[in-house]
Amino acid sequence: MSMKSATADESLQTSLPKPAAKPAGASAGGTALASLAPALLGLVVPGAFLLVWWGVVAAGVFPPSVLPSPFTVAAAAFDWAFGNPQNGGYSGTLAQAIWASSQRVLLGYGIAMVLGVAIGVPTGASKLMGHLVDPFIHLLRPIPVTAWVPLSLVFFGFGFKGAVFLVALGSFFPIVVNTIEGVRGANRSLVKVGRMLGARGWRLLWYFILPASLPSIFVGLRLGMGISWVLIIVAEMMSVKSGIGYTLLDAYSFGRFDVVIAAMIVLGVMGFLSDRVIVAVQSVVLRWHREVSIHAES
Amino acid sequence: MPNPDMRPGDVILRCERLDRTFVSRDAGENRVLQDINFEMRKGEFVVLIGPSGCGKSTLLNIIAGFDRQTAGRALIDGRPIAGPGPDKAMVFQDYALLPWLNARENIEIGLKMQRIPAARRTETALRYLGLVGLAEAAERPVYKLSGGMQQRVSIARALALEPKVLLMDEPFGALDAFQRAIMHRELVRIWRATQATIIFVTHSLEEAVFLGERVVAMTPKAVGLTGELRIDMPRPRDPLSPEFAAVKRRLYEMITAHLPEEVDVFAD
Repeated sequence: MSMKSATADESLQTSLPKPAAKPAGASAGGTALASLAPALLGLVVPGAFLLVWWGVVAAGVFPPSVLPSPFTVAAAAFDWAFGNPQNGGYSGTLAQAIWASSQRVLLGYGIAMVLGVAIGVPTGASKLMGHLVDPFIHLLRPIPVTAWVPLSLVFFGFGFKGAVFLVALGSFFPIVVNTIEGVRGANRSLVKVGRMLGARGWRLLWYFILPASLPSIFVGLRLGMGISWVLIIVAEMMSVKSGIGYTLLDAYSFGRFDVVIAAMIVLGVMGFLSDRVIVAVQSVVLRWHREVSIHAES
Repeated sequence: MPNPDMRPGDVILRCERLDRTFVSRDAGENRVLQDINFEMRKGEFVVLIGPSGCGKSTLLNIIAGFDRQTAGRALIDGRPIAGPGPDKAMVFQDYALLPWLNARENIEIGLKMQRIPAARRTETALRYLGLVGLAEAAERPVYKLSGGMQQRVSIARALALEPKVLLMDEPFGALDAFQRAIMHRELVRIWRATQATIIFVTHSLEEAVFLGERVVAMTPKAVGLTGELRIDMPRPRDPLSPEFAAVKRRLYEMITAHLPEEVDVFAD
């Protein structure tokens, strides 16, 4: 009975005239506000967080040497970036630190990306390769990458190579696992089409299976990038004498918590920006996928 | 054409005593095709009709090379079928276009796999897009096209391979009735223009009578071909004419005669 009345209501509604449009000025103001509102809403919680932080420091809950105020941290970050002779060894070294960490991340992540996809695609596509490679990957994967640090020190020493190794190892696993799953889940009828069109072996992998697996591969690429920034800090804290992670630990040992917190914020920004870069590449490469997914606006 | 010596009327496809039995652990043996003997001449338009589960898709998959018979022989142009390939191009019900390519590229990729040089690929792709009436949409991404247009691209892709047989597996099943009626007329026009050899699988009586020169019927219980009807009606055929209805009835009786009891197998 209720269903019947609902359909009746609907048909009534569709035949009713639409409510008169609001005056142009009001509706334009409304849309501008509506498009601004989400951005403003996103600032509410961080703003509140800063306020509480500042309040806690001002109330003297912790000594200011352990928990500096947001302003002290901002000043430290500014000096770190632009230099101030009064501010000791960190003055003006931010760009160097970012460059040192970034190049290790880029190289290690690049190696992981190439190896992860190159190993993942055939492993997912071929049953034989799957049986050969899959168990090994899943045995190695649960070993925390930090547990590799001693071996890394032995084989690659303190410095650049060891850091790159840890980043590459850590980001390799999400990339390879998501590539394998992407290939295994690739649309069967597209693979059938490839074979019908006469593609075999590498040409089938390259022109049909790889593009069809890209949505899943990009999931791995994003996860891998997140892990890269975790591991570069681990590596720099343990075995490298430069970079953001090194600065962070160094500042801690000198009791410079303003620099520690500034370094944390820089790491957050770097991780966020590198993820945005991948998302930007993805939105171009996977335009077709967005259009056919459930989020497509029709 | 892959074989210039072939003349219209020559036998291009032959199935001899074809058997297909699926063996599964829980259901045991399931014989889907038994003793299929079937022959097709170049340029013919054959419709394979039957209700779901009658084995028509299995037969089509064997001819396409996606599946293998358990006994008997399947020959194209005198040679046994060994795996899928461009000489037996399939048009799928779900179009199966590559969504990361545009309409033209979807046709070119098949020619690329044939190692045809790039300039000729583009020229051929545009020619076949024109043939299916999509010259304007060449550079559009396929996901922006309607279902009917996507299926046209899929037909153009298959035709561009210049296959010995064109296999169509319920290609218009996902289209609405109006689109389907348009595509029926289009397919007849394309068939005449290209003189392609077509096997068209369907469970629609109307589709079969509208399209087929020859309709071959299958039923689930008989695990084989249960009858054949040659349709000589002139084209374009009018689905609302009494002649059309009469042929449809004959076809219906031919298929239901082999069913164990009176069941409406065509009730959708």
